[in-house]
This record gives sequence, structure tokens and C-alpha cells, in this order.
Amino acid sequence: MASSSSSGLTFKLHPLVIVNISDHYTRVKSQTNPPPLTSTSATVNGVEHQQQAPRVYGCVIGVQRGRTVEIFNNFELLYDPSTHSLDRPFLEKKQELYKKVFPHFYILGWYSTGSDAQESDMHIHKALMDINESPLYVLLNPTINPAQKDLPVTIYESELHVIDGIPQLIFVRSSYTIETVEAERISVDHVAHLKPSDGGSAATQLAAHLTGIHSAIKMLNSRIRVLHHYLVGMQKGDIPCENSLLRQVSSLLRRLPAIESEKFQDDFLMEYNDTLLITYLAMFTNCSSTMNELVDKFNTAYDRHSRRGGRTAFI
Amino acid sequence: MEALVTQIQGLSGTASDVLSLQNLLKQADDSLHAESTRLPPFLDQLDPSKHSLGYLYFLEACTAGPVTQEQASSFLLTIARFISSCVAEQIRLAPDKFICVCKRFKDQVLLLEEPLRGVAPMLTAIRKLQLSSEHLTALHPEFLLLCLLSKCYKTALSILEEDIFEVDQPRDLFLFCYYGGMISIGQKQFRKALELLHNVVTAPMSTVNAIAVEAFKKYILVSLIHHGQFPTNLPKYASSGAQRNLKNLCQPYVELASSYSNGKIADLETYVEANKDKFESDNNLGLVKQAVSSMYKRNIQRLTQTYLTLSLQDIANRVQLNSPKEAEMHVLQMIKDGEIYATINQKDGMVRFLEDPEQYKTCEMIERIDSSIQRLMTVSKKLNVMDELMSCDPLYLAKAGRERQRFDFDDFDNVPQRYNI
Repeated sequence: MASSSSSGLTFKLHPLVIVNISDHYTRVKSQTNPPPLTSTSATVNGVEHQQQAPRVYGCVIGVQRGRTVEIFNNFELLYDPSTHSLDRPFLEKKQELYKKVFPHFYILGWYSTGSDAQESDMHIHKALMDINESPLYVLLNPTINPAQKDLPVTIYESELHVIDGIPQLIFVRSSYTIETVEAERISVDHVAHLKPSDGGSAATQLAAHLTGIHSAIKMLNSRIRVLHHYLVGMQKGDIPCENSLLRQVSSLLRRLPAIESEKFQDDFLMEYNDTLLITYLAMFTNCSSTMNELVDKFNTAYDRHSRRGGRTAFI
Repeated sequence: MEALVTQIQGLSGTASDVLSLQNLLKQADDSLHAESTRLPPFLDQLDPSKHSLGYLYFLEACTAGPVTQEQASSFLLTIARFISSCVAEQIRLAPDKFICVCKRFKDQVLLLEEPLRGVAPMLTAIRKLQLSSEHLTALHPEFLLLCLLSKCYKTALSILEEDIFEVDQPRDLFLFCYYGGMISIGQKQFRKALELLHNVVTAPMSTVNAIAVEAFKKYILVSLIHHGQFPTNLPKYASSGAQRNLKNLCQPYVELASSYSNGKIADLETYVEANKDKFESDNNLGLVKQAVSSMYKRNIQRLTQTYLTLSLQDIANRVQLNSPKEAEMHVLQMIKDGEIYATINQKDGMVRFLEDPEQYKTCEMIERIDSSIQRLMTVSKKLNVMDELMSCDPLYLAKAGRERQRFDFDDFDNVPQRYNI
């Protein structure tokens, strides 16, 4: 497989495609039971299984204008392991449906996941050649490599090369750029910031927000403490007096307080008091509920006349 | 005897010595009691500030028998001196003896009819006996009784301000809160009185006791004075015995409360006149009269909810007062006490009712809320501890286990049906 293509086409990839492929892969991986192991082999019931990450397949669609190929969207396809080909009738049905909604989009190629393009992929590639004479192969590498800076996506084209006297189709890598529409950028950004475990529940978001503020204040506190320690040392005479530093500190102090006006004081104190009141209310509710439980337990244990026989719901 | 004295003098040095001394004294206790008349001269040989434990044993034996009138005065002096100079750690090793001595001290003081002499020593005695400021000892109610009888209420207030978490005997709690309520009423701190009396009425009691009945009567009256209404049902956390029986035992007061809620002063006054002797026999007539006069305040407060401005004459008519002058006096008093917010225009005799001017924007408010939050946090921690203790209580577990539904589909754990230890 050569490393650069010579077709001269420029490829533009939309992030929606990448997100879709990644989503497809994650879904399939999390739904397989038992979860697959990547490189080690597992012994299950005495039989050795070598499980690899599942491969997912699908089609990419987009627009080709002159020498620019823009890949907009993609959809999933089922891989038939017996015939080593993709599900053809389904593909055609899907193609029709997409044509109705996006009349300009054509099937540009197909995608899959894996670390590198394989020989068997050529089979699928050739099968698609009757829809598009030069299909694309988009490959997503799902292994997470924290050192990697680029996207783990590669686009392959097929070229006819003569190897050992036999003309063969091989995959050649092509370069591409990412193209986004404004709406796409916002939604992808939103998806990227979701926490993996809980998602957007209010409690975790509030906790995350407050943790951020807490660490910021802690850092501010520690830095002021360092300055204070330094100044005290200077005052005592342990450290030689450095005038430039003193000048900087004094100019910093003179910049505080940042806002000083009657209206600001009023509003600030009012808001501060509101927050304190809410905390007070929360503590109150907490205390009352504990007390209520305590009294209930006490009454059950020690009050002879309260419950005799009968069923009570213990909530 | 002398041998014992020398032993006390020798062994009062370190803590371990004191413990061994305590065992010796316990064994010698009966002999001490047998020779109680011979003991007073030995007391002079011992120093109360160093040999507190030994002194205590001797003193307790001395005062065990009947005391004559002349001896009483000198005894009071010795006991008072002892209390002020004794060492707290040694005293706490024999708390019941100490309480015994103090109770006899109180009896003597009452016999001599000089309760004022007993107030200060009793206060020091409490401070020395208490393990922490949250601990209620048996001496607390005695102290409050002395304060009540000698009418020096202010000294008692410092004791009443403390929050109590540990109680030795339930009877102490009842008496303490009842007397404390009476003292607060005397100081016109009705909110504190209500809180203390509420504690008596809702304290856990398997059978209704007389203290609770008396406290309930005062509770009704104070609640009418302070809140203008009386909740007809006791809260859920009151013991079931109290909930059922207290109201029946205080019938005239409950009826007073219901006629109060009708809002007609004339009816209230006729009712009070009719049942005057009952109230008087309970020593509550003063409180009842205060309740009646608080009716006017209640009516004026009700007016603030309907009117923005009102003339003094109108107020007098609506509240059934005799003249506008009286109405003005009432309104002035209420403004001073902070019960309503109003301004009186003297030129045309109009009263304008205002809103609460508190803006909640000041630093003092921040400090108030902050301190309240801190207090709540400590209470919450204590409550959690108590809750956990309660959940492990075998009585509770037995009853909880018995009441579980038979066929709980989601339950696979085994709660024993009978919890035998």
C-alpha cells in the first residue's frame, strides 16, 4: 500500500462522519457480551478465544464537484461474513431514501474501523466499484493513543499498480482536510464536552462548576500566602530587601478593591445573603429530615401505644 | 478516725493516689456515718481545696443527721466555703455525695428562709459538677428553684442560655425546664419560656406526670401571649400518653384558648371571671390577665393585614378599647417592642402601617445567618450520631423486624423476626 495518492483529488471530511463512525463502533462494542479483549487471548470454558475489537462497516455519501470531494454524511451497513461483502439490497434501499432527502448526495465510498487497511477490504472495495468507479475507503482507528495529536482517520483510494508483473488494485493513502458548517461545529463541541459517566445531570454539572471555582480559589490563596510569607521575611530581615518586588506588590494592592461603590456593596451583600439563606434552608431541611427519622425510630422502639399489630409501610 | 484523717492528708496528691483514697473512703463510709456527731472538729484539720474528696465524705456524714438551728448557720458557711474552694476533678469522683450535700444545703437555706444565700454557691457547685456545658446535673433544678424563690432571675439566665445534650435523670429535665420556663416568664422572655415549656410537654414520658400537667397549663397561656394562638394538637413527637391525656387534665385552659381565638374580649373576660378560683389555685391568674391584655395586641396586628392607614378612633372602636388615647398607647408600645411597623401622625390622629424595613443587605445579617448555619451544622452532626445509635438499638430492631410485610418480593435479606440477644 503506497503512502500517497496521485489522483490529485482534494478531500474534505465533515466531523459528522467521524462522530457517526465512532458512535457506531462504541455502540457495537458495548453491546457485545462478553466484552472483547484487544490483544490477549482469554480462556473461557477451556476453549481459547481470541477476541478482537469488532469491526463496523458502512457507507459514506457526499458531493463531488470537479476535483473536490466533500464527504458530508454516512450510514451503517451490515457485513455478511459468509460472502465477505456488504448487504447489497439494504444498501440500495438506503441509497434511495437518502436520495429523496439529499438529492445531490452520492455514494462516495465506504468506511470501517481498524488499525490498518487489510487485504479482505479490497473485496468490499471492488464490490462497490459498480456504484462509484473510484470509491473511497475511510478508516477509523478506535485504539486510543494519548500521545497521538492527529485524528485517527485515514482516507484510502484505490489505484492500479503493477506489482510483480500483475496489475493489482491497492490502497493508497490520501490527505484530507476537515470542513465544518457552523451548526456542525456547535453540536460537535457540545457532544465532546459531555462527561462520559453521568452526562448532563444538574448535580454533576453543579459539582464540576463548584470544583473548578474551589480549585481556583485554593490556588489564589496559596499564591497570596507565598507572597505574604515572603513579605514577612523581608520585614523581619531574613531576606534582603528588593525594591522592585515591593513596588510590584504595592501597585497590585493599589489596584484593589476593583469596584467600590455604594450600589455594588448593596447588590453584592444582597446576593451574598441570598446564597447564605439558601444554604441555611438546605441545612434546615437536612436536619429536619434526620430528626424526623430519629423521632420515628424512637416512637417505634419505646412508645407502647403507637403501633400494635397491623402493617405499616416502612418508607 | 485520726488515722483516716492522716491518710486523707497524705493521699490527696496525685490522681492515682486519689483513686486509692476513694476506695479507702468507701470502705470507711459506714464508720463515718456512725460517728457523725464527733466529726466537726476533724473538718478543721482538712483543707477543702487540697483534700476535697476526703472533706466531702466527712461533710456528708456530718450533715446526715438532723441539724439544729444554731448548727445550721455555721454549716451553711462551711458548705459554702467548701463549694467555692473544692477541686472539680476530685468532686467528680463521688458525684452523688456531692449532690447529696448540696441538696441538704438547699434544704437548710430554705429552712432559714434565706434563699438568696444559696444562689451563688449553688451556681459554683453546678459549674464544678458539670462535665461540659451541655450536661444537665441534678443540681440545675435546685439552683433554679432557689433563684425563683429569691426572685433573682438574672443569674439564672446564664444557665438557661446553654444548650443541653446530656441528661442524668429525666426528672431533672422536667423540673429544669419547668422552672426555667417560669423564670423566663418572670423576665418577660416569652419566646424562651415557650421553648422550655414545650420541652417539658413533648418530652418522652410513659405516664403523664404532674410537672407536665402544670407545664402544659402555663404552656397554653404563654403560647396565647406570644403567638396569639394555641395549636390544638401536640406535635407528632410528643409521647402518645401526653397527646391523649394532657388536654383532658387541663380543661379550663383549653376552653380559655378556644374563646381567645374567637377574638371577642368581652367573652374572654367573662370566662376568666367565671373560672377565677381555678386559675388562682394554680397560681396562674397573673398569666391569665396578661393573656387577656395581649388580646388587644393580637387584634391590632390583625388590623395591619387589612388596612394601610387607620385613625386612632377607628382602632379604638375595632379593638374594643375605651378611647383613642388608649389605642395610641398600645400602638406606641407595640412599635417600641418591634411587633408592628407603623408611624403615628399626631396632627390628624392617623396611623400608617408600614412594611418590614429589613433589607437583608447588611453585614450584620451575614453574621447572623452565618452563625445560625454553624449552629445547625453542629446540631446536624449530633443528630446523625443519635440516629445511628438509635438504628442499632435492639428494641427498635425487634419492633421493626416484626412489622415487615410478609411477602416483599424485592427483599432477599433476612431480618430476624425475633431479635434475641
